[in-house]
Amino acid sequence: MKEHTPKHAGFWMDWAAVVALAAAVAAFALLRGGSFLSPANAVNILRSMSITTIFAIGATITMAPDGFDMSACTLATVSSFLFASLFLWFGLPLWLSVALTVLLTMVLYLLTMLLILVCRVPDMLATCALMFVHQGLGLWWTGGGAVSAGMPTPWGTPPARMGWTEGALAIGAAPWCILIMLACVAFAFVFLQYTRHGRCLYAMGSNRTAAAYAGIAVGRYRFWAGMLTAVMVAVGAVVVCSRNGAAQISGCDSYLMPSLAAVFVGRSVGGAEKPNALGTLVGAALVAVLENGLTQMGVVYYVLPAVKGGVLALALVAAYLPRRRAAGALSDGL
Amino acid sequence: MQSFRLEARGICVDFPGVKALDGVDFRLSPGEIHALVGANGAGKSTLMKVLSGANPAYRGQVLLDGSPVSLRSPAEAQRLGIQTVYQEVDQALAPALSAAENMLLDGLARPGRLWVDWRGLYRQAEQLKRQLKMDFDVRMPVSRLTLAQKQMVLIARAVHNRCRILLLDEPTAPLSTVETETLFALCRRMVAEQQIAVVFISHRLPEVLRICSRYTVLRGGRLAASAPVTPQTTTGELVAHMLGAGGQAVRRRTDAVPGGELLSVRGLSSRDGSVRDISLTVRQGEVVGLAGLVGAGKSELCKTLFGILPRAAGTVLLDGRPAECRSPVDAVACGMGLVPEERRREGLFLREGVDFNLGVTCLKQCSRLSFLSRKKLDANARTQIGALGIKTPSPGQRVGLLSGGNQQKTVVGKWLAAGCRLYLFDEPTKGVDVGAKAELLRLIASLAGTGCGAVYASTEPDELLQVTDRIYVLYGGRVAAELVTAHTSEEEIMHYAVGGKAPFVPSAQRESEGRN
Repeated sequence: MKEHTPKHAGFWMDWAAVVALAAAVAAFALLRGGSFLSPANAVNILRSMSITTIFAIGATITMAPDGFDMSACTLATVSSFLFASLFLWFGLPLWLSVALTVLLTMVLYLLTMLLILVCRVPDMLATCALMFVHQGLGLWWTGGGAVSAGMPTPWGTPPARMGWTEGALAIGAAPWCILIMLACVAFAFVFLQYTRHGRCLYAMGSNRTAAAYAGIAVGRYRFWAGMLTAVMVAVGAVVVCSRNGAAQISGCDSYLMPSLAAVFVGRSVGGAEKPNALGTLVGAALVAVLENGLTQMGVVYYVLPAVKGGVLALALVAAYLPRRRAAGALSDGL
Repeated sequence: MQSFRLEARGICVDFPGVKALDGVDFRLSPGEIHALVGANGAGKSTLMKVLSGANPAYRGQVLLDGSPVSLRSPAEAQRLGIQTVYQEVDQALAPALSAAENMLLDGLARPGRLWVDWRGLYRQAEQLKRQLKMDFDVRMPVSRLTLAQKQMVLIARAVHNRCRILLLDEPTAPLSTVETETLFALCRRMVAEQQIAVVFISHRLPEVLRICSRYTVLRGGRLAASAPVTPQTTTGELVAHMLGAGGQAVRRRTDAVPGGELLSVRGLSSRDGSVRDISLTVRQGEVVGLAGLVGAGKSELCKTLFGILPRAAGTVLLDGRPAECRSPVDAVACGMGLVPEERRREGLFLREGVDFNLGVTCLKQCSRLSFLSRKKLDANARTQIGALGIKTPSPGQRVGLLSGGNQQKTVVGKWLAAGCRLYLFDEPTKGVDVGAKAELLRLIASLAGTGCGAVYASTEPDELLQVTDRIYVLYGGRVAAELVTAHTSEEEIMHYAVGGKAPFVPSAQRESEGRN
């Protein structure tokens, strides 16, 4: 079988997201000059994209073996409740609160894995159902409200800590949240690109039957991919909680769509044609740059999503349309 | 002159590089059940597609009741009263709708009607049900019906659409004995009461002799024979027509004497019943063939051995140790390797490189502390590419861009890299060009020389004769015969593969006896 796609179409497929990012940066630089290009603004953009990127890395690891998780961000809201309550209500040290949050999130993720791996419910449907479960579960834990500094516990006693410490608030602020994001991206990149296990996940994403028939333990790999996703979800939840200074109701839910968009935009970057860490970073950066630049341009906040969505859609069209055409030509030819 | 319901004259169909049909004549009288038989690739399906309108690119003339017609589309053929029930019944049914709706689907889809006349619909469906003596609730959704009942629904649809010629493509392959009887009774009734002509495609020759009044045999795209079925007609006669005179293939020379027992299977059954109580052995350095028709259980046996299909009973010993393979992971750990039938869907990562595809079974050996070593992966790929003669511009080339033969070699190569003890080949030459096929057969023969064993499943008797030492013929999921390759023939393999129960008598001998 031969590739029917012309060379230049291949180029556009592979680099559409990067070109869009570069074009957006160039356009805003031209229009706004120094106020957009300043180092301070660069930090701004990185900070605003950090949370989306962390969740998107989680989604990348799930999607590498062709899995899917709609409930990652509702689970993150539960994790943020857990983190805030461990830290404020029980007064645990910061490191222990974070470690326990990660651990408990992994335990909660067992439910997702149960539905997908044991009950064999398709990923999309299982995680759709779990979105509701997570929402109810989180609010049950907090007694129906947010968890913020100074609030009494649901059982009436005063919290062990009256407020957030400086260290806890630093996680969500400028240098640290960016460093955490970069660490997550670097980890996922090395894990997926250079380890045997990462390649096995990609093999499953490429052809699950063939992977199983080649002796790859597909169930076990899907499980551990889910567990890694849970770690990312917990880390993202801690950052969100720290930035807001509280664990809000549905505080993380709204990150789902941007994070999925980042993965889809990043899929084709560099011709990878699979969810990959660097592509995801580019996708998240595209969203953040648009948001920052358009705000500076004076686009009112309530129109912003429409413009943002439009540019994302264009990037996706550029990445997917030529391939569809090529695939169409192939199937017509057969 | 006898009047024919349908007469096809000199039908030719060209596929790129092959003549699928070469001047075939086919005559169908009203009120007859006409068997269309032939080996794989003989042109049965192609002729069927021409008659059903699915292949408009044919040359030749088709006369319906004496007047010429052109079959340019399935809709055209159906309008002329030619209805087809394909083997994959699910593709023609809407599973969520009731049996009644599916029977009358074509009427439902007619434009200009807004409301569904439920009462009329069920009345008509009940009438069809009585007429065809079906015994299930027509209001039941089709998804809950058995395969046999789904077939009935399609036949009822055909009858409702005033069918005059019914084409049945291997209708009995998935059916049980009782279900087959019901279908046959239905066919006989339709033929007797409505003068419908039925074309019956089947590999199961004893069935053909029981139900059909006439047979046509195709061989290599040409008409081999066409005659009425008489009580004297035997399956052997049909097999002889299917294989023709030049059926003697080159045999493999076995110089090496096979060693000790490598694989020993006792009473193996799969849970889905596609493999029943199979016992076989493979010795070291031996290539054992699995013969049988499509659906005889060859693939299923390979998949049961490899841990893909769950086992219900039986023991498997590999190198004297029990091989309780509950998943392919276990099977690979035991030292088995499967070259699956559907190479692109089950055996390859099409978008990954040749190097990864060749290394996927030995990733552990190619990595240090879980980190994959590009160098080792590349070295492994180069070794296998050299050993198998895979033609690829570079080890990094995407497998999807290679030719079928080279893709298949890549699938074999990944098991060479894993150092298997037992190779399971399931139709390894399917979709592979002649040159690569010869190379593959040579490779498989040479594998045995290294003390490994191989199981080679194929529907092509000539291939089995070329490459194997012994052959087990499967029929209906069971071993019908065990043959030694050096002392058998295509004819004997086919005799058992099509369900022959009596001991095999070569046709030459039979003819001489007949003369005496």
